[in-house]
Amino acid sequence: MIADTGSAPTSAEVAKALDLSEENVRAAFARLHTKRLLVPEPDDPSRIRMAPPFSGIPTAFPVEALGKRYYANCVWDAFGVAAALHADAIIPTADGFSGEPLTLEVKSGAPIAQLSVAHFAVPAAHWWDDIVFT
Amino acid sequence: MLLFRSEETVNEWCTAHKIRRRPLINLDQLWQLAVHWYANRLTVESRRPRPDEMVSIFASIGLTGPFWDPKSDQWR
Repeated sequence: MIADTGSAPTSAEVAKALDLSEENVRAAFARLHTKRLLVPEPDDPSRIRMAPPFSGIPTAFPVEALGKRYYANCVWDAFGVAAALHADAIIPTADGFSGEPLTLEVKSGAPIAQLSVAHFAVPAAHWWDDIVFT
Repeated sequence: MLLFRSEETVNEWCTAHKIRRRPLINLDQLWQLAVHWYANRLTVESRRPRPDEMVSIFASIGLTGPFWDPKSDQWR
């Protein structure tokens, strides 16, 4: 649903769309979390914070693709949205230190070349210790 | 992970946040990671790569060493 609309559905909306109980959907959210495919909001398990590469809330990594605006969790996931949708994409973001606007573009299955770099502050063994920070 | 215009602003960010400088990756490497992780994410069969698969994916684009090992405890 998030790929169709750009917005993360609530457990109630998923339940209605699939004709399931909301309890079953929340249990499914929890199972997907154990598989690291979904992160519910910590204080509201009816809402999705992350369904990587998509973010359930606005972030500094918007992705414009297929005529919609999505949000990604980080710069890796911003490219991930384009990869998941198999679509061209424009990512209007900014330098992580200076705030200078930077725009990434994916066209025909590859990024348009530029000199920007991504910095991984957390080693792979600890990405899910605090996935929101990572 | 964040995007930076250059290595210079990475260094400034690390200094400002008192965070140790970690590996940098270029946009081609980042795109390859995105494709490996997410190209089938909208399919029923989608799953996250297993740790051994992660190591292979990282190595295939030149990312090696304990930083990229999801089982490493060297960085604790």
